[in-house]
Amino acid sequence: MKKITLMLLTLLTIGSMLSAQKITGLKIIENVYNRPAGEDQTADLTMSLINSRGDKRVREIKQFLKDSGNMEKKIMFFVAPADVYNTSFMNWSYEKAGKDDNQWIYLPALKRVKRISSDSKSDYFMGSDFTYDDLGDRQPTDDTHKLLREEEIDGKMCYVVESIPKEEEYMYSKTITWIVKDNWIGKKKDFYDEDEDLLKTLTIKESKVIKDYIIITLSIMHNVQSDHKTIMKLENIKIDSGISDNKFTERMMKRGI
Amino acid sequence: MEKFINKILRFPKITLLIILMITVLFFGVMKQNSKMETDLDEYMPQDHPAFVYSDEMEKVFDIKNGIIIAIENKDNIYHTETLQKIKDLTKALGKMKEINKSDVTSLYTADNIVGTEFGLDVKAFYKRVPKTAEKLAKLQENVRSNDMIFGRLVSEDETVSVIIAEIEDDVFTQEFYNDILTLVKSFEGPEKLYVAGSPIVEGTMAYLGPKDMKKMVPIVLLVILFVLLFIMRSIKNTIFTLLVVLFSVIWAFGLMAAFKIPVYAVSTMIPVMLIAIGVADGIHLYSHLDLFLQKNPNATRKEAVGDMLKGMWKPVVMTSVTTSVGFFSLLTSQVFPIKYFGLFTAFGVMAAMLFSLLLIPAAILLFGYTKRKPKIDKKNKTDKIPFAYKFANGVIKYKTITLFLTIIIVAISLFGMTKVWINSSFLDKFEKDSDIVLTDKFINEHFGGTSTLNVILEANENDAMKSPEALQLMDEMQQKVDSKLAVVGNTFSLSDYLKRMNMVMHKDKKEFDIIPDSQDLNAQYLLLYEMSGDPENLWKVVDYDYKTANMTIQLKSDNSKAINSAIAEVENFRDEFKKLGIEVNYAGSGYKALVFTDLILEGQIKSLVMSLFIIIILLSFMFKNFRVGLIGSVPIVITAIIGFGVMGLLNVPLSTTTALISSIAIGIGIDYAVHFIERYKIYAKETGDKQKTMELTMHHSGRAIIFNAIVVIAGFMVLLFSVFPPNRSLGALVSLNMFTSFLGTVTIMYLLLYKTNLFFGKKK
Repeated sequence: MKKITLMLLTLLTIGSMLSAQKITGLKIIENVYNRPAGEDQTADLTMSLINSRGDKRVREIKQFLKDSGNMEKKIMFFVAPADVYNTSFMNWSYEKAGKDDNQWIYLPALKRVKRISSDSKSDYFMGSDFTYDDLGDRQPTDDTHKLLREEEIDGKMCYVVESIPKEEEYMYSKTITWIVKDNWIGKKKDFYDEDEDLLKTLTIKESKVIKDYIIITLSIMHNVQSDHKTIMKLENIKIDSGISDNKFTERMMKRGI
Repeated sequence: MEKFINKILRFPKITLLIILMITVLFFGVMKQNSKMETDLDEYMPQDHPAFVYSDEMEKVFDIKNGIIIAIENKDNIYHTETLQKIKDLTKALGKMKEINKSDVTSLYTADNIVGTEFGLDVKAFYKRVPKTAEKLAKLQENVRSNDMIFGRLVSEDETVSVIIAEIEDDVFTQEFYNDILTLVKSFEGPEKLYVAGSPIVEGTMAYLGPKDMKKMVPIVLLVILFVLLFIMRSIKNTIFTLLVVLFSVIWAFGLMAAFKIPVYAVSTMIPVMLIAIGVADGIHLYSHLDLFLQKNPNATRKEAVGDMLKGMWKPVVMTSVTTSVGFFSLLTSQVFPIKYFGLFTAFGVMAAMLFSLLLIPAAILLFGYTKRKPKIDKKNKTDKIPFAYKFANGVIKYKTITLFLTIIIVAISLFGMTKVWINSSFLDKFEKDSDIVLTDKFINEHFGGTSTLNVILEANENDAMKSPEALQLMDEMQQKVDSKLAVVGNTFSLSDYLKRMNMVMHKDKKEFDIIPDSQDLNAQYLLLYEMSGDPENLWKVVDYDYKTANMTIQLKSDNSKAINSAIAEVENFRDEFKKLGIEVNYAGSGYKALVFTDLILEGQIKSLVMSLFIIIILLSFMFKNFRVGLIGSVPIVITAIIGFGVMGLLNVPLSTTTALISSIAIGIGIDYAVHFIERYKIYAKETGDKQKTMELTMHHSGRAIIFNAIVVIAGFMVLLFSVFPPNRSLGALVSLNMFTSFLGTVTIMYLLLYKTNLFFGKKK
């Protein structure tokens, strides 16, 4: 009963805003998924990994990204630490539901490009606390979404959406996302493991507007069970600089930066 | 002193009442505050460098003790139902409040690093339980081709698979163990399930030992009661001799509880010591009383008590003080439970002294003494010589033989002492056919081993563990340890990851099952692993900076010989690692137990030697003669030497409990020696005749001593029927010590007294 009254109240208060009136959880998540982010992007990514003892490792990566509608291509080159310099990683992910990503890795010391078969988007991305899905690859239709409530975080009104995966054996039993109402940027996201215990919390710390696009530039993923943290920082971001499709080939992986 | 006691004894009722009241008070405190401490880590000196280091490394690499649950399917484990059980049990264990979800490892949670035609793949062996024959066969093939899993999580004959649940040191309780057993039981049939692992062994031991003791001590006391009754032929005497012991135990534990000191497993040795030592005073006192009454059958209570105290207060005080000092010397130990053991046993001994000097006389004053008929065979006395006289003369007559035998026995014992070995094993303390030992054996037959030694390799700069030289040396060492020692079942380190990756990246070709020669390639493989696998697993073998590595050596036995043999092999590589700037150290609970046992032993030997010196000095002062000091220490030395010698010869290893028994040598040895010498001195003064002195002493003290020995030996023999093997060796060793103390006193020490002409100096 309480929930219903609460919902009615919130509905009444936002009743004046026409667009918000009939919004559903799915619609919100779709809006986030479809938020324009430009066709391509170049950036320097700094990934800091911090374990429960406070030990810290830093990886510097130069990344290129291109979204061509039905598929997204990404190539990354390690800049630091020195012993993995020019190790590169390429990922092609497809819009089409059910089609697995293609992934390649190039190890300069081995001088060979290798395919990594990926049946699991639940793999952790480069030893971080992010899985590939966490980084935004997950299709809205993979989950059932429900708008729980609206609440304010850091002075911004947010939708709070609960998403339950349709696939039973998925690594998360559910996620809860706080999404800023006016710009469809996530503010916070809680991930629950298969036993419905809180596993991780993602916090968006900073975002920038570049060429009319809102780009998340600083985020922290905290695995509360292992107390491991990953800080992702994007710098020197260039959007829509017209990266050629040729950039995303095995040849380019071998060539290095 | 005597006057003081007599003053107090003017009020026997009040004396008795006060003692009783304090005892009741202590008993109340004991009932309320006594807490058993079974966590073995609490026993270890936390600031000892070896423990500090090990604890730190246990945190870095998340080294914990694992409970091992084995599932056996006589056919093979690749059946849908069996695999379902592995999955369900893995999940159920993870949900227990004592276990972290991420600390449960099984075939269900394990990573499979495989080469594909494209490259590398790290994935689970199964998420959904395979149902078709085809899928089951595929899983079987995957396991077989993965050295990191095959033989580790699945046995090589494929009939057993293990689930390992790692727990923190302090979470094990008997209830938790029962919960696990109940849980496991619910998965039983047709598969058979087994539960093992060091937490189970340690937990059960810490619980079983004292529990068994609690059951056995009353029986010991009962037997002592009957033997006392038989020997003393007096209910009153028996009761008060036993009350002295009982009250001293209550006072010791009561004081301990009052200071909120928990009861450690070694504390169960306190009553053992106090029983063995405490009955002595009562026996000597009553023995003296009886001899007096035989001569003066119509003496008043007051007269009898007066004579008893006059003749006995000195030896009672002397024995108690020296014994206490012996136990006080245990305060030098680095191990707290041992310190407490020494302190409270010393307190108990002093309490027993107090009761002997106050409670026993007060009781006689109040309740009277047991009348002794003057020996009827008084007329025959001249022709029927007491056995004690015969014995006294016999020893002297055959002194060469006595001496010779003593020398031979001591020599054999000294030889035996060289064979004494220390065993920190917990498993060896259980019955050979107990469930715990059998399960352990079963798992050891199928897998690498239930015990582990962690070898910590520490470099002085980051990324050192990525260097081919370091990794190759690690690999070489693993191969050596693995192939040379039968007791080593498995080894595991960072090098295993790199070898597997290298091979997989080269289309599973065997010739690439080696550490790559390039540091960059190693680094890139590791990055690749982190990108595709579960990097958490990596942090169990190397730290975040690749500066320190943890190599696990799995052993099929937790006994000290096994751990030491592995350490010896590793030590051969110390210099080579040093050349690479890498230090070798050890960690883990098995290693800690080893260091701990060494510490206990070192402390025990130190205190034994120290108390021996103190006792010699004390005795020298008490008798105002240095030679008496030396002679008086003979029973102690003989008892200790023979005690350790027999252990060596019978292959009974020294452990925390058996090492402590040597303390009994001090307590008993000193008792016998002092009573004997004091009597000897008194008779020497009275008679001035050596022959007569010898005979009388043997009749008086010798008699009391053998009574004492018989009583305690009979009592402790009961422990031979204990269900807990360490308590059995305890019973046997206490009995042995009593016996040798007795024999040493009445033979060799007696001979030495005779030979040295002590107390006859002036006449000669």
